[in-house]
Parts: sequence; structure tokens; C-alpha cells
Amino acid sequence: MIKNKRLGTEKSRDKGLGFGESRDERWLWMSGVVDDVEDPIPKIKRLPVADHHLSSPPKKPPSPHSPLSACLMGELAADKHVKYIISIEKKKDSFESVVMEHLRMSGAYWGLTTLDLLGKLEAVDKEEVISWLMQCQHESGGFAGNIGHDPHILYTLSAVQVLALFDKLDVLDIDKVSNYISGLQNEDGSFAGDIWGEVDTRFSYIAVCCLSILHRSDKIDVDKAVNYIVSCKNLDGGFGCTPGGESHAGQIFCCVGALAITGALHHVDKDLLGWWLCERQVKSGGLNGRPEKLPDVCYSWWVLSSLIMIDRVHWISKEKLVKYILDCQDLENGGISDRPDDAVDVFHTYFGVAGLSLLEYPGLKAIDPAYALPDDVVKRIFFGK
Amino acid sequence: MSENAYSDAKALDLLNELERILESNPLIDEVGFVHPSLFSTLKEAAGSSASSQDISEHENTNFWIRDHKLGISTQVLLPLYKAAKHAFMAALREYKTSENLPGNSVDDSLESEVMSHSKALLMLSCDFGTAWNSRKFIVLKKQLLPMFIDELLLSALILSYAPKSERAWSHRRWVIHTISGNSILQQIIEGESELVEKIAERSKMNYRAWNHRCWLVSYMTREQVLHQLEKSRNWASLHIADSSCFHYRRRLMLRIFEDFCHTQADHSSDYNFKIYNIWKDELDWNAALIKRYVGREALWLHRRFLSSYWIRHIATDLHVVSYQFDFGSFIDHELCLLDSCSTIPDDDFEDFQAQAIHSATYIVWLTKQIPEPQRIDIQEKLRARDLNRLLNTACPERSSLWDCLVGAEASSQV
Repeated sequence: MIKNKRLGTEKSRDKGLGFGESRDERWLWMSGVVDDVEDPIPKIKRLPVADHHLSSPPKKPPSPHSPLSACLMGELAADKHVKYIISIEKKKDSFESVVMEHLRMSGAYWGLTTLDLLGKLEAVDKEEVISWLMQCQHESGGFAGNIGHDPHILYTLSAVQVLALFDKLDVLDIDKVSNYISGLQNEDGSFAGDIWGEVDTRFSYIAVCCLSILHRSDKIDVDKAVNYIVSCKNLDGGFGCTPGGESHAGQIFCCVGALAITGALHHVDKDLLGWWLCERQVKSGGLNGRPEKLPDVCYSWWVLSSLIMIDRVHWISKEKLVKYILDCQDLENGGISDRPDDAVDVFHTYFGVAGLSLLEYPGLKAIDPAYALPDDVVKRIFFGK
Repeated sequence: MSENAYSDAKALDLLNELERILESNPLIDEVGFVHPSLFSTLKEAAGSSASSQDISEHENTNFWIRDHKLGISTQVLLPLYKAAKHAFMAALREYKTSENLPGNSVDDSLESEVMSHSKALLMLSCDFGTAWNSRKFIVLKKQLLPMFIDELLLSALILSYAPKSERAWSHRRWVIHTISGNSILQQIIEGESELVEKIAERSKMNYRAWNHRCWLVSYMTREQVLHQLEKSRNWASLHIADSSCFHYRRRLMLRIFEDFCHTQADHSSDYNFKIYNIWKDELDWNAALIKRYVGREALWLHRRFLSSYWIRHIATDLHVVSYQFDFGSFIDHELCLLDSCSTIPDDDFEDFQAQAIHSATYIVWLTKQIPEPQRIDIQEKLRARDLNRLLNTACPERSSLWDCLVGAEASSQV
């Protein structure tokens, strides 16, 4: 929500379609929309406010199959979330949904990966998705967020990830896609997002991840790519978008993920970065993405996956985080929101479920912290079936 | 929803109206979406001082314009968006087709169609990348400075309703990068910093806005950097929870120090002294803020940076003649700060607890940053304070971190 608008009062905005909400804060950080939430006033109230008082946390980390949920308030409403994800495609005629159509490819990745983690990927028509997806490919080899839009590296990764989920990477002209990506590398090793030249370490991650999935890492100068990422490291151990940019959990995930994939994690000061990352956990158990910010479910992914990659995940309280994510579920209609009682969306639903998967929540497929794909999909890519 | 009732023709009328408004009011600097029930309120409020004709001109419930502010009714957003997108995509297709024809004689009217439809579309969907791109393409082809400047204005207008729109910020960087050879650049850089500050005022802790400002630093002259450091100080002291602003100051300070290192040959002791003072001032100012605003994470994180950089570079690399770095007294000063911040009053107010944790973690941080020989000195002084217990009492949820950071050292001393 935009504060202090001069046009209309705070009230007028609340009466609106929640327009500011989707673009302004909740949406996607990886896919080009910042998800930086700071408004302490929940936008759309959902359920009666849950009780947030927490007893002191147990000291022992949970073993994978301990009855974790027994010591927690709620359980994962898996079936509801499946229904919610499937219902999104049917609700296409509201302003909130049409205004997101330029990033539908990422939406497909979030929704489908969630379904796969929940073991319900077969609930969607695979051929229909792939047919639409291939219509989003541009003659340059890159993918757009939707049919008729311009290609961007963001959507190219989403498209490749979706095809990997379906085990359909063979429909791609691999060289064409990888040439598109390698063509975006700059002299200094950084990557542009598209032909217009914006540089960001997110794009470095995407390039490295995508080419690795396609087995074409030799198409780029990996050493230079690594050096550029290292040049974006700050004194607090974190990473920013470009050299000198502020540390942000989302950027950290991208940089650590790219370094993990390229086997260059020795560039990370693990204690220093782990310290910064675990300071993201706030009293409620949720994680924020930067100092002084409110917690948000999506950082369950960005922070947690980074902590796992640098082997410092035992520095946060996993139990409290599990509880926080579960508290953000809409138990009635499915879906997960940024904070308890806010309105749900597919982006937070994905990161909530993916976070729980990293926390070894029972009944979920394991997810790979660097590739952001289910473990079995990653194994299939690198070791065959 | 009632939007569905709009026919294509009616939606097209809406689009035409919006485009006419945008064209006849080039000075619009703010746009927002307004619930229809508020239109009458807005009109009444405007009515008392109504002197301009634009109120009667747009006597409808779809748009409201006054004093360069444009309101769009939330009721027409969906049909309007659909019409704008359809018109834009059609115009863009036609434009691209004519671009590819031999002879390359693109009709000017086609270009202006793409420009006006993309503008209307971006009013409704700020991150519609294809619309931004089409504008870049046309502006780049024309190579006219006023057109580049217009793009900065459009981006600012979009940011007025969507201050975190990544595409809008990125469009600015594209413009600035493209015209960076022009003499107007320095003037633009100044304006950019002001824009960021204005937006950051309304949109707190806006990462994209501050990231843009950090990006600008590499385009600044040495004088501009010094000026920015001075100018942003007041803003920072009024927004002490906005960590991004402190990061911006760190970026500026590092740039000053980099400049110093790259021009080793010609630097005078005056300049050394200046840098020394900049750091010293920041440390003192930060300590004052820490005492005034209890328990603010951003302030303590800023101090971590200042102190560690001070110890490792400023105090040792700068050869200020009149100055002999006294490591011991620096550490004593920091321990004093710890002592004054780590007492939790009986009422156990949350802010004081936060202050205690921040001060203790700050000292642990400092210990880790200090080179080996001096580290023993500080560890010696810390032994009496039992940091481990303080941390574990004030913040038990991070006990495994404390065990790893402090516990290991404590046991190695035994």
C-alpha cells in the first residue's frame, strides 16, 4: 500500500481493488517485481487473528520424520493448497490477475512447482501447458512472460524449469536457448536481463542455473561470472544487485546459488554471511529480507536456502519458522500469504511450501536449495532417470 | 464485477479519453486509482476553489484531474486495461512489420500510436516490460534529447503510484546510461537523488529506490559525492529505521575512500585529514543516534561497518600526521558504549532488550573483525562482562549461533 498518497485518502485506497497491493509489494522479487513488504497494516484480513504467543523453543532440531506437527498449532492444508493453485487459472477476469499477465511464465513455475512438491503435478494438463509455453519463445531463443511479449532472461529460466518439471526439456532447441543466455554476458562477467542491458546479480544466477540445467555451462565465461558476483559482496557478508548495492536476502540467494552451482562457495565467508542471515529471523519466527523489515513467508525460501547452501541452517529456530509459515495459511480456501491473516497469492504459496520442504516437513517432496526444483527433478537432469 | 458490462466500443472510448487527458495535460505528475464513491467527495473539495475549466470538462465518474493530479476510477480499470493492452499490442505489431519492410519508411503516426498506447498501458500496469521496451526502441531511433527527458518524466509519473516498479526504475537507468555522454548528465544526477529522496519519504525502506541512488554514485563527481554525504545525513537522522539510507552513506564513504586510494600520488595530508574526519564524525553521530533511539538494528549495523572499516583501513592506511591511532582507547570507548546499552531496566521494555542484544552482538562482531594480536586485548576486557550469558538470556532463540561465536572463544580462553 502506498502511504501518504496525495490523491485520495488512505481510505480511498482501501476501497479500491487492492491495486497497489499486487504491484507494490507482494509480487515477485525474482520475476521483476519487488516483494519488499513493510506496511505493518495487513491489507485484506482473512481469519480471526491467530494467537502468536510462543513458548520458548525446543533446543533440539527436529529430525526429519518426528511428529513435528504435534508440537505445532496447525498442519499443512495440502489439499486446500492444491485446489487453490488449480483455481487460479480459472479466475482470469479480475484486474488483479490480468495486470500480472506479463509474468505468467513465472506464475506457471510457482504454481506447478508447488503442485509437484505436494505430489499433484498430474492434476494439470501437461500438453496444454507446454503448447502455451512454446508459444512464448521468441525468435532470439529467449522466452517471454506471455505470448506476444518481449523475451527476458527471467522468463527463460521459468520456462526451462517448467519443462524440467515435466521432463520435457527435449522439446527445446537447447543451443538456441543457451545462445540467447550466453549472448547476454558482458565483458566484466555480469549478465544483462535482456537486450536493453539492465545488469543484476539475479541475472547471473539465472544464466548459471539455466545453462547448468541445459548442460551448456561451457557457453559462458564461468570464471568471469563468478568474479563479478564476488565483486558484489558487501562487508556484512551479503550481496547486492551490483557492486556497492545493499545486501538483500533475495540477492544473497541468487549469488550463493550461482556460486554453489559453479562450485565456487569458497568465496563466501560462511560464518559472516550466516550471521547476517540468521539475524533475519524475528520474534514471531518468520524471516525478513533486510534489517528492520517485517517478516514475510517468501524469505523462508531466500534466507533458508542460502543458510542450507552454506551449512548454517542450525543457527535459526526451524520449529518457529515452520509454525510461522503454517500460521500464514488460508485454512478455508487454501493458499499462503506473506504474513498471518493477509490475502494469499501463488507466489507466497510456492515459497511457503518450498520453505516447508527445506524444513523437511512431512509429506512434501524435497527441494534442491540451489536449483529451486524438486530433488528428483534435479537428479533426473544430472544423473538420468 | 460491473466491469464486464463494458462493451469493446465503450472501453475504447475510455482509452481515447485517457489518452486525450494525458496529451492535453503534459504536466501531470501524479496518478492514482480512486474508488467511484470518492469522486463526489473529491469534486466537492475541489468545488469551493474551482476556477479552472477542467472540472467541467471531465464531468464524469471515470477520471478526475486537477492540479496536475490524475485520478482513475477503480471501476474502469479492467476495461481500460484491456483496451489499452489490445491497442498497444496491435500498434506494436504494425510498427514492427513496417520496420521490417524494405526502404524502412515508418509512418510517424504509427510511432506516435505506439508511444501514446504504451503510455496509457503503463499507467495501468507499471511493469509491462514490452511497453517500456517499445518506447526505448523509438526514443533510441530518434536520438532527440527532449524525448529522453520525457522518458524520465514518464517514469517519475509511474513511480508516483508504483514506487517499487522495477521496470520504471530500470528505464531511468537506461536513459541515464544512454545519454551519459551529454553535458546535461550532472544536472540529471542531482535531480535523481532528489527524486529518490521524495519517493523514499512516501515509500519506506524502498529497496529499488535506494538501489537506484547507490547506482548513481558511480556517475557522480568527487564534489557531488561529498555533497550527497552531507545532504543525506539529515534525512537519515529522521529515518533511523531505514537501513537503506545508511547503506547509501556507506556506499558514498567507500567511494570517497576508493578515490583516495586511486589517487595516492596527488593526495595531500589535507585530504587525508578530511577522510579521517568524515569517518570520525560518522562514528560520533552514530553513537549519538544509538543513545537517542533505543534498540534500532539499522544504527548498530551501520556501526559494525564504521568500526571495522575504521580499524582495518582508516586508522592504519591514512597517515594523518597529527594523529596516532590509539587502539586501546578506541576499544575502551566501544566497551563503554556496550556497558551503557546492555543494562535492561526492570520494566523490561522490549526496546531496551533489543538494545542490549544489538550492543552485545556488535562487540562480538568487532572482536571477529580485529586482527589477531589486538583481539586478545579485547577478549581480556570482555571476560569480566560474561557476554555469553547476556546473549543467551536476552536472545535464547539464537543460542546455537552464540555458542558458535562466543562459546568457542570462551572455552579456548579457559
